[in-house]
Amino acid sequence: MLLNRDDWYDTSRDLDWTFTYVEASDAFPARWSGVGAESADAWQAWDEPFRVSYRDYVRIQREKESGVKAVRSAMMRAGVYEKLDAGHVAASHLHMGTTCMVEQMAVTMQSRFCRFAPSPRWRNLGVFGMLDETRHAQLDLLFSHDLLKFDPRFDWAQKAFHTNEWGVLAVKNFFDDIMLSADCVEASLAASLTVEHGFTNIQFVALAADAMAAGDVNWSNLLSSIQTDEARHAQVGFPTLAVLMETDPARAQTSLDVAFWRSTRLFQVLTGPAMDYYTPLDQRKMSFKEFMLEWIVNHHERILEDYGLKKPWYWDQFMHSLENGHHALHIGTWYWRPTLFWKPNAGVSKDEREWLREKYPTWEDNWGVMWDEIIKNVNDDRIQDTLPVTLPSLCNLTQLPIGSAMSRHDLEPHQLVYKERLYSFDSEISQWCFEQDPERYAGHRSFVDRFIGGEILPPDLGGALAYMGLTPDVMGDDAYGYAWAKDYVTAEAG
Amino acid sequence: MSSQKATPQIRTRSLKTWSAFGNLGRRPTEYEITAHNMNHTTGAIPLELGPDVNGNAWLLEHRDATKLRVADWDLFRDPAALTYGKYVAEQDDQETYIELLLEQFDRDGADRTLSVQALDMLGRALAPSRYLGHGLQMLSAYLQQLASSSYVANCAAFQTADQLRRVQLNAYRTTQLNRSHPDRGFATSERGHWENDTNWQPIRRAVELALVEFDWDRALVATNLVVKPVADLLLIDLLGRQLAAAGDHLDALMLDNLWRDSRRSQSWTAALTSFLLESDSSNGPVLQGYLDEFAPLGFAMIESGVQLLSVDGDQESAHLAAGVRADWATIVEAGGLRLGTG
Ligand SMILES: [Fe+2]
Ligand SMILES: [Fe+2]
Repeated sequence: MLLNRDDWYDTSRDLDWTFTYVEASDAFPARWSGVGAESADAWQAWDEPFRVSYRDYVRIQREKESGVKAVRSAMMRAGVYEKLDAGHVAASHLHMGTTCMVEQMAVTMQSRFCRFAPSPRWRNLGVFGMLDETRHAQLDLLFSHDLLKFDPRFDWAQKAFHTNEWGVLAVKNFFDDIMLSADCVEASLAASLTVEHGFTNIQFVALAADAMAAGDVNWSNLLSSIQTDEARHAQVGFPTLAVLMETDPARAQTSLDVAFWRSTRLFQVLTGPAMDYYTPLDQRKMSFKEFMLEWIVNHHERILEDYGLKKPWYWDQFMHSLENGHHALHIGTWYWRPTLFWKPNAGVSKDEREWLREKYPTWEDNWGVMWDEIIKNVNDDRIQDTLPVTLPSLCNLTQLPIGSAMSRHDLEPHQLVYKERLYSFDSEISQWCFEQDPERYAGHRSFVDRFIGGEILPPDLGGALAYMGLTPDVMGDDAYGYAWAKDYVTAEAG
Repeated sequence: MSSQKATPQIRTRSLKTWSAFGNLGRRPTEYEITAHNMNHTTGAIPLELGPDVNGNAWLLEHRDATKLRVADWDLFRDPAALTYGKYVAEQDDQETYIELLLEQFDRDGADRTLSVQALDMLGRALAPSRYLGHGLQMLSAYLQQLASSSYVANCAAFQTADQLRRVQLNAYRTTQLNRSHPDRGFATSERGHWENDTNWQPIRRAVELALVEFDWDRALVATNLVVKPVADLLLIDLLGRQLAAAGDHLDALMLDNLWRDSRRSQSWTAALTSFLLESDSSNGPVLQGYLDEFAPLGFAMIESGVQLLSVDGDQESAHLAAGVRADWATIVEAGGLRLGTG
C-alpha cells in the first residue's frame, strides 16, 4: 500500500548506531556538537519541531522558485527599479550588502548541523536548512546582479564580506562567531532561535511591508518568499532549548542573554535606520521600536517564560537602548557616510521629525539637538563640517561605535583589562557579554585596534577608506543631496 | 582628505557583472553568478574573530594547513552547473517518477509476490543501507563546510541532500516491506545487521574511519573517491541489478534512479580532481598518496559487500567483485588518478 509521510518517518530518523571502529567522541567532537559524553543520551529526546519529506520539499520549493522568478522578470521588464525612491533604494543596498553573504554562511552552519548535531533527527533537518540557505544566498545574488546595471552598490552583495568596511566587519564578526565558530548547540540558540526566529522578522516582515509600500514588489516578494523558509527552519532552536533546559539551564540562560543583546545591537544598525529614516515617510508601516516590541520583544519574553528562563538582568537597559540605540547609530552612520557603501537618507525633514517625536518622545532632547547642528552647517554651506575627519572608537564586543548604545547622556566609559590588554565597550551589557567568555572575544582586533596598530596606511580617514575598499562610485553620501535641509532655511533666516 | 573629495556628484559606472569576475570576456552563466566568490573565509585568519577561537583553529589546521596547492579555487566548475533552482526542479522530476513507480507497483501488488531470494536480499542489504546513507550524508556535509571554494561547497551541499533523499526512500520501502511481510524484521532489524553482520563490517568500518578524517583533502579522497563511490557501486548499482535478477523490479528501478545522483557525485569529483591536478603539479602525488592509503578500505568493502549481494556462491562473488573493482577504477581514472591493485 502507498504510505503517508508519518508511516515511514520514524524509520527515516532511526539512524544512530554504536561506533566500534573509532570513538564516537572523536567522530562527534564536543567542540562542534556542543555536547559532552555525559549528556549525550539526553539529546535522544531532541524532537523535530516540523516534519518534511524530501519529496514534498523539492516540489514546494520548485513552485516557490518559479513564483519568485516570474515576479523578478516582470518587475525588471516594467522598469520598476528606476522609479524607486532614493531612500528606499538605500535600504536595499544595505540589506543586500550585509545579508547575502550571511545567507551563504548559514548554509555552512546548517551543514554543521548535518554533520555534528547530537541527534540524527537534527542532522536530517539540517539538510533542508542547508538547502533553504543556499536558495536565499542565490536569490539575493540574482536579484542584486539584475540591478548592477543601475547601481554598482549591488556589487557589494557579493563583494562586501571580502572588504574591511567597518559595518560589514561588525556583521561578519557576529555571524562568523555564532554561525561558523559556535558549536551546534550554541549556533542553534543564537542563530536559529534568536536571530532567525526572532530578529530576522524585522528584515523579512517589516522591510518586506515597507518595500511593498514603496512599490518595490520584486524585493518585497523576495523577502517574503525567503521568510517562508526561515519560519520553518528557524524552529530547530526550540527542541535544542528544551533539551538544554534539562542538561544545562544556566548555559541556556547565558547563551540567550548574550545572543539577544548582540542581535539587538546589530539590528539597530542594519534595520533601525532603514525603517525609521530611509523608508519614505508615507510608506512607513511601523516604527522600528514598535516592530521590535510587537515582534521581537514579546516573542522573546514568551520563549523565556515558556522554557522557565528569566528575563535578562539587563532588561531595563535594553528598553532604554530600544529608545535610543538605532537613532545613535543612524546619526553616526550618516555622519560617517563616506565609510558606507550605501547612501543614507538623513530623514529629518520637518515632517519626518514630527513623526520621530511622536514615536520617540525623547528624540528631540537626545538627537534633535545634534541634527540641528548638522542642519545649520548644511544650510550655511559648510558641508565639510558635517563630515568626519577621524574614526570613532569601537566596542570590542559589538564592533559598533562607543556611545551608540544608549542616549547621548549615557557616556560613562565601560572598560576592562584582560591579559594586559585594554578593552572598551559600548555599554555595561556588552562588557558583561565579554566577561561571560573572554577567550571568545579577546583575540579579535577591531578596526580601531588595527588603525592604532599601524596596519591602516596612511593613518588618516583617507587611508581608512582605502583599507575599507570604498571606491568613489559606491561611497556613501546623503541620499537626497541635502534637499531635506531646505525645510529649515526660512526658519533659521527668520 | 578623501572624505571631502567624496561629496561631489560621482558618475557611477555601470557594471555588467560581479567585479570579482575580473575580465571574464563573456557573460557569466546564472550558475556562475550564484556560485562565484562566495567564501569569505579564505584570508590569513579565516573568520573575523581571534585566531585561536574554535572556528579559526579548525579551519587553519584542517583546511589551510593541508597539502593541496591551488592558486584560484574559484576556477573550478561543477559539470552539472547546478543552482538551487535547477536542483529542486530536477529532483522534483525524479521524485515524481518515483511516485509513479510506487503507485504502479502498488497497484500490481508487487510486494506480495516477491521471491524469497529477493526478500532475503532486501532484508540483509537494502534495508540496512539507510545507516550507510546517513553516514554518507554526514561525510558529504563535512566536505561542504571546509571547501575553499563556494563552487565546490555547493556541489557537496547538493550531494548531502541526495543522501537524505536516499535515506527517506529507503525508509519508505522498508516500511512498505514490513507491512507486506511483517515477520521478516523490516524496520526493526537493520541496526543489528549494520552493527553485527560480518559482511557489513568492512563497510561500516570504512564509514567510521572516514568520519574522523578531518583534514579536508584527506576527507575528500576518503569520502568521494573511496567510501561513497564503492558503497554506491555495491549498494545502489550492483544491488539494483541483483534485485532485478531476483525479480524485484520496483527496487531495481528506484535504485537505478538513485544511481543518477551517484553519477553526479562521481562527475563533479572527477572534475575536481582533474582541476586539482592541473592547478599544481604537487597535487597529484598528494591525492594519489591518500588514495593509495584509503584504497584498502574500499577493496575490503568490495570483498565483503559482494557477499551481501551474491546468491550463487563464491564464483559469483568473485565475478561481482571484479566488476565493482573495475568500475571503481574507471571512476577514479576519470579524475586522473589510478587505483592500485587491492
Ligand atoms: Fe536564510
Ligand atoms: Fe535561515
